[in-house]
Amino acid sequence: MKKTVLKLGAAVLAASLALAGCADPDSGKTKVTFLSWTGEEQMKPILEAFHAANEDIKIEASYSPPVAEYIQTLQTRVLSGTAPDVFVIAAENKTNLLDGGHVIDLSGEPYISKVESFNTETYGRDGKAYGLSVSSWAAGYMYNEDLLKQVGYDTFPTTWDDFLVMSKKLQDAGIKPFLESVDQMPTTLSAWIGAKTNTMDGKLDDKIFSGETTFAAEWTPYLEQYNRIYTEGLVSKDVVGLDGDMIRDEFANGRVAVMNAGPWVINALRESSPDLKFKFALVPGVDGGEPFAAGAASPGYAINSKSDETKQAAAKKFLEFLASKEGVQIFHEQTRDVTVTDDFEPEVDPAFEPLASSIRNGQLYLPMIAWQRSEDILNVEAVAQIQRMIQGEITPAEVAKAMDTKLAGS
Amino acid sequence: MTKAPWRRITLSIAMILLALFIAIPLYYIVVNTFKTQGDMVSSPLGIPTKPFLGNYAEVLTDPRIYKSFLNTLYVTVMSVVLQLMVGAMAAYAMLMRTSRTNKIIANVLLIGFIVPGQSTLIPLYRTLVGFNLVDSLNGLIVMYMGGSIFCYFLIQGYMKTLPFEIVEAARIDGASTGQIFLQIVLPLIKPILITVGVFQTMWVWNDFLLPTVFISSPSKRTVVLQVYNAVSEFTTNWPMFMTVSVVALIPMVVFFIFAQRHIVNGLLAGGVKG
Amino acid sequence: MALLTMDAAKKSATSGTSNKPRRGLARSTSGGWKQVAGNQAFLIPAIVVFIFLFVIPLCQTFYWSLTDFTGYSTDANFIGLSNYKIIMTDPSMLAGLGFTLLFGVGTTLLVTLLAIPLAVQLNKVFFGRNLVRSLWFFPAIPSMAILGLVWRYILSPLESGVLNSTLHDLFGINALPWLSDNTLARLSVIMVGVWGATGWHAVLYTAYLQSIPGDIYEVARVDGANARQQFFGLTLPLLTPAIVVSTFLLMTGGLKVFDLPYTLTNGGPGFATYTLTQSIVVSGVSQGRYGLASALAVLFTIAVALLAFGQLALTKMIERKFV
Repeated sequence: MKKTVLKLGAAVLAASLALAGCADPDSGKTKVTFLSWTGEEQMKPILEAFHAANEDIKIEASYSPPVAEYIQTLQTRVLSGTAPDVFVIAAENKTNLLDGGHVIDLSGEPYISKVESFNTETYGRDGKAYGLSVSSWAAGYMYNEDLLKQVGYDTFPTTWDDFLVMSKKLQDAGIKPFLESVDQMPTTLSAWIGAKTNTMDGKLDDKIFSGETTFAAEWTPYLEQYNRIYTEGLVSKDVVGLDGDMIRDEFANGRVAVMNAGPWVINALRESSPDLKFKFALVPGVDGGEPFAAGAASPGYAINSKSDETKQAAAKKFLEFLASKEGVQIFHEQTRDVTVTDDFEPEVDPAFEPLASSIRNGQLYLPMIAWQRSEDILNVEAVAQIQRMIQGEITPAEVAKAMDTKLAGS
Repeated sequence: MTKAPWRRITLSIAMILLALFIAIPLYYIVVNTFKTQGDMVSSPLGIPTKPFLGNYAEVLTDPRIYKSFLNTLYVTVMSVVLQLMVGAMAAYAMLMRTSRTNKIIANVLLIGFIVPGQSTLIPLYRTLVGFNLVDSLNGLIVMYMGGSIFCYFLIQGYMKTLPFEIVEAARIDGASTGQIFLQIVLPLIKPILITVGVFQTMWVWNDFLLPTVFISSPSKRTVVLQVYNAVSEFTTNWPMFMTVSVVALIPMVVFFIFAQRHIVNGLLAGGVKG
Repeated sequence: MALLTMDAAKKSATSGTSNKPRRGLARSTSGGWKQVAGNQAFLIPAIVVFIFLFVIPLCQTFYWSLTDFTGYSTDANFIGLSNYKIIMTDPSMLAGLGFTLLFGVGTTLLVTLLAIPLAVQLNKVFFGRNLVRSLWFFPAIPSMAILGLVWRYILSPLESGVLNSTLHDLFGINALPWLSDNTLARLSVIMVGVWGATGWHAVLYTAYLQSIPGDIYEVARVDGANARQQFFGLTLPLLTPAIVVSTFLLMTGGLKVFDLPYTLTNGGPGFATYTLTQSIVVSGVSQGRYGLASALAVLFTIAVALLAFGQLALTKMIERKFV
């Protein structure tokens, strides 16, 4: 038994070594390592097109699924001095990467000026640009057109009060009105805070983080409004135990009229329920605010400041390709993301049309990416406290206060 | 002892029903591997009207799953064999000489068994960076060596039940310490080695924490990481996820069926004091 | 009589030694220094492993627990006990402690209470015994990370959730908030943990049961002991060595649990099923607060050591009483 095991071990070892020792056909090329956020299947055609156009550069890509695993992989590699030449800067690691000086300034590069300024500003600081973000995602509400018709609605409400009235009508008609996943920051809250900060030239978070105002003062009214769907019994408290997939399946089977959603649900819905008629809508405005969408610039490609000059130059060529018309087109075909470069018009699913203009104009907001430090700590805290609020354990004011406490303690 | 046949039949029925109840998640996993995502959304527990084999086709034609099998096999075999060696050697030394120093060492080693993996994870990562063992399968094997302390305790407990006279006789015949260990003690403790080996194999094969933190290259993924790769950021293709899981676990099931007899025998012998 | 002892007796030239069952291998050798050195050399690999994988990292963890090390930049400042102060005052960290203890103690007790009677049944002869044993084994084979995800789907609190729709169809019970109510979510996580461990530990007990000679029961029956008296008077006391091993494994494993709550509830709702290990991983790896994570790890190690040693001492005391 023991000997068999040892033999087996030796055989496995030999096989592994044999696999490692292949000849390298790419000698002489400038090698650029790249840790991709986009999946392997989708990234492959882009890399092939780039290699065809740049024969002297070889991109050595590795992949890590977003979000937590990617952030962790990149962090451990930065920490150990083995970070790739090109990687992505995201909401979760922006502060740490910039503070540590791990990425180079890209402002002034021609390809940076091609993208929507909202995207560049997202991954910039003090007028400098550190990430090339060629697309954005947006999330809002998705509604079942047939179910809404049953209670007399052809268009989606634009104010929160009207939305609550409609929800009540749906409920009275025996239809579950609304479900929203709260395993992350609720889409509704992100959109409302976004609408608010949009009216004050994007300065809300500056004021909170400089101590001029607090989460308690700014967030409490919105948390109170949000909590109404639970305290008024329109939505079950069980949402705290649901994730986005479960809610999507409820919607697919026609068991709920409205849900929070982004473009990523479209394909699954069309596959599982071909007859379902659905459409996106902006999150209704509250307290006189405009309807708005939650969302953010997709993570930006960044260049490692520790890489040598040859590699940085080659990496810049790679970024240039990623922002070129050809590169963006392949990227769009592979991911169906709504891109934001000036020389390519992305095709948008008709159902998603209401949110597409928000993306093209940079009218999006996500608290975690707008926050200036301790993003993950604040986000984890906020989500957990919001779950407690929905369960009726604490008040909306206490949620905001807990966030202030976290901010002060970090 | 004899029992009335009806009692045995009742027991059989009750036990089979209970076991089937316990295995419902198994049914749930397997049945959904034969469905499309749409089918699963509409009827999660039902038997598919027309079995869909596309999931298996996709998983089995993906070369990455085979690579991850090879990686996991390498890590599991190497680390379990090494753990057993280190554990058995320490247990042997400790039992051959019960001096005061060794008693102290025995207690100190116990602390190593208590330490939770998460407490040492972060500094170990830093240490392994220095040895170039991060993002390396050999680095994972080094990490799993921590399990040798666990092996040591189970083996040591078992060795106490061995008749000492055999060793004494061998020594009188002029056998060296190493010879006694290899030729007499190791064969005698085979049952416990297999038992602990199975236990550790399940741990290493299924471990999620260490590969997540230590492995970043796709070519070095272990099977559990490969399974997790099927969970994407926004949507999960559940039938696909379960198919990858089933494929990843088939080797463990086969291994288990083979080892089951030895497990019972091993535990049996180890648990008895005389 | 143990299988192995018989086995050994067959191989041994000095047959008959197995008649003295209490004579162990352990004793000090009277050989010369060469033999002693040869002996002690066998300890070296284990000591190397121990120093490299436990002592050095623990010292480093302790040092970092006194600094503001972020994990992104290598320069760290000494900040004394501040990290420990944060942990003592942070409700989310304390919530993690509560559920970790509940899970460790809860699974240990429940699995032990279920696994022993199950083992007694599995030890009887009945049709389909091998199949039944294999099915009980099944939860031990896949990793808890995978099972957690499957259970999350089964325990969905919606009416359409697998368990809820089944309960409704069979018994007309309304949907239960398995994962969305604090108490039920805690119970659900513990229940899945018990489900995962009971079969494995039952087999462990089964093995020990087979070593109890049948004639002991024969004598007991002649003396007029009923099934209940046999179980409490004979089976249970004879199982105490197994209980020591099993509960020790359960307690240390339960306190160190990470995969199961992480995949099943991700610590929610609120902080209801948050564990200390999740705190350590999240603050250290996702949030770049290595100093804080280290302080948490130090406290965690001490706590687990105290609990596990205490429990070990307790079960050993009970064992000595019976054996």
